[in-house]
Amino acid sequence: MSSSVRSNGRTPVDAPSVQPGFPPPLPCPNGCNGEPLIRLRGVVKSYRTAAGDFNALKGIDLDVYPGEFFAIYGKSGAGKTTLINILTGVDHLNAGEVWMDGLSIHGLDENRLSLWRGRTLGIIYQSFYLMPSLSLLHNIMLPMDVCGLYRRGKSEQRAMELLRMVELEDHAFKLPSAISGGQQQRVAIARALANDPPIIVADEPTGRLDTLTAEIILEIFSQMVQQGKTILMVTHDQTLTERVSRTLVLSDGRIDGANGGKP
Amino acid sequence: MQPALADNTSPFHYLPPERCSDEALIQMKDIVKTFKTSEGSFTALKQVTTCFYPGEFVSIVGKSGSGKSTLVNMLTGIDHPTAGSVRVGETYIHRLSENDMSRWRGRNLGIVFQFFQLMPTLTLLENIMLPMALCGNCNAPAEREKRARDLLALVGLQAEVEKLPAAVSGGQQQSAAIARALANDPPILIADEPTGNLDSRSADAIFQIFTSLVEQGKTILMVTHDASLAQRTQRILLLSDGELIDPWVAQVFHDLPHNQMLWLTHHLQPRLLTPGTSIETQDLASIGLCLVVGGQLEVLNGRQASPRAVGVLKSGDYLSSLDHQNAEYSGIHLQSGMEGGASLMVLEQTTFQGWLDSNPGVRHSLENAARDRSAKGENLPILPGGGASP
Repeated sequence: MSSSVRSNGRTPVDAPSVQPGFPPPLPCPNGCNGEPLIRLRGVVKSYRTAAGDFNALKGIDLDVYPGEFFAIYGKSGAGKTTLINILTGVDHLNAGEVWMDGLSIHGLDENRLSLWRGRTLGIIYQSFYLMPSLSLLHNIMLPMDVCGLYRRGKSEQRAMELLRMVELEDHAFKLPSAISGGQQQRVAIARALANDPPIIVADEPTGRLDTLTAEIILEIFSQMVQQGKTILMVTHDQTLTERVSRTLVLSDGRIDGANGGKP
Repeated sequence: MQPALADNTSPFHYLPPERCSDEALIQMKDIVKTFKTSEGSFTALKQVTTCFYPGEFVSIVGKSGSGKSTLVNMLTGIDHPTAGSVRVGETYIHRLSENDMSRWRGRNLGIVFQFFQLMPTLTLLENIMLPMALCGNCNAPAEREKRARDLLALVGLQAEVEKLPAAVSGGQQQSAAIARALANDPPILIADEPTGNLDSRSADAIFQIFTSLVEQGKTILMVTHDASLAQRTQRILLLSDGELIDPWVAQVFHDLPHNQMLWLTHHLQPRLLTPGTSIETQDLASIGLCLVVGGQLEVLNGRQASPRAVGVLKSGDYLSSLDHQNAEYSGIHLQSGMEGGASLMVLEQTTFQGWLDSNPGVRHSLENAARDRSAKGENLPILPGGGASP
């Protein structure tokens, strides 16, 4: 179904033969291309706290289409991080479903989820999460070595190519601490692309960067979209939403339909 | 005969930099690091020379901007010295290509930072196993999981191996980061503010892990802001304005501001006394400050026909001309120990006076110390600082 966006042309981990319960697309008033790649239906997440249950997500319905640069905008506490954790399978949901590329990810066991994630998602965090004692090159090789999609010699070559793409080839053997925050984020982007995943999930990717550096990161994102990637980004920075193809507002655990979903 | 400079009763193996012994695991020699900034150049390290020995647990302290992190960055290869050399074992690491350096580091250094940087999507076990894959022959694939589990057990996380980082506390995440740093069994662990992001209880747990690693033979260098943790390491290296403060000065004059300690470091002159050498009363007048850093000095009262030993200055004790206000010190002379002589650091009286005159705070602090000493009773020192720590 959505195999057209698979730029790597590989067979997915779980062939996307439609599983039982696969939800139809949400109404798309302004016209959408093809079938949604990511579908969230009735996603509920609550946490038990000392002060009682806290509902972080109160029934999220959402479709993201292939090739979209999609932003979810929300203020602090709106549920953005919870949503990212649900999307990446790091956290479990209380109710609802998350379908990605034809697969209901919360039905997978941990091992399959982990393998699926490694091949399907590239994840970019606000604080980079590069391994501090590994060179930039090795940091990018890690996901390839874990998923086994590339042989060792090939993974090194590919890591170098990705470093060239983010213009950090000359720094390949440096440690993360030896380069700036913006450069570290570029390495993290290169790492996210290591296994050539169709979907990039980014959590406040420019949150720790100055405006100029943030601009460079956004430019790289635009290029990735042109190359066929689908990007889902959460942010509290309204200026970023001007750079994306579509934005929805997350407010108090709900997608805010008012204002046409525009911040 | 040479007095013993390395005094084993002291927490500080006092070795002047140029005497770095052959057993040193790490030798940093004449390290200069200059950064170019928009406002000109800034020298973060000024001719720093120091050594670290196998199995040592050393803390590196100093104010923000004193050069602590820059110093360890010279060792990890995060940064390169503008001048000087770093030898680790047999390797002069800054002569390696970046690629070789990266490989060398993978086998020889574990690095722990303030921020744990564990991958949020991976379990603790997976986080530990990951870097093993990149160390070539370090761990055979089949052994990696067992080794990762062993390492997590070592840092007390055997029950949390399958958890994601977000499911454990900050202290536990740092423990996992330490386990990860040990993945390839490096002999040296470099920790830059490892407890900077933790509450004091978690910080203590991290410290316990470091202590047990040192007992197992690891060499640990820890940059820290936490004075109480630093006190618990075997040795403290204090940096001020890109220079090392003499460890004896740091220990004995710990009440002084760092810039004054640095001044003392610059101006104290070493003096070695062979066994039984006397400093006569009249010569004593030319000495402003006399700090014992090895062997011992007997304090003899020369007013009597046969001089009487009224006290002993051991490593870490000092005497200053301010003490002359104390009746006990009038007419004394000093004699180095008959066994090992004495190793001193001395400031001439005129220099000492000039220092006190231009720094009322220093004068106040040293006068107080002299007064306390005088109040302690008729017998002469055991002097301030209580002598060298056991």
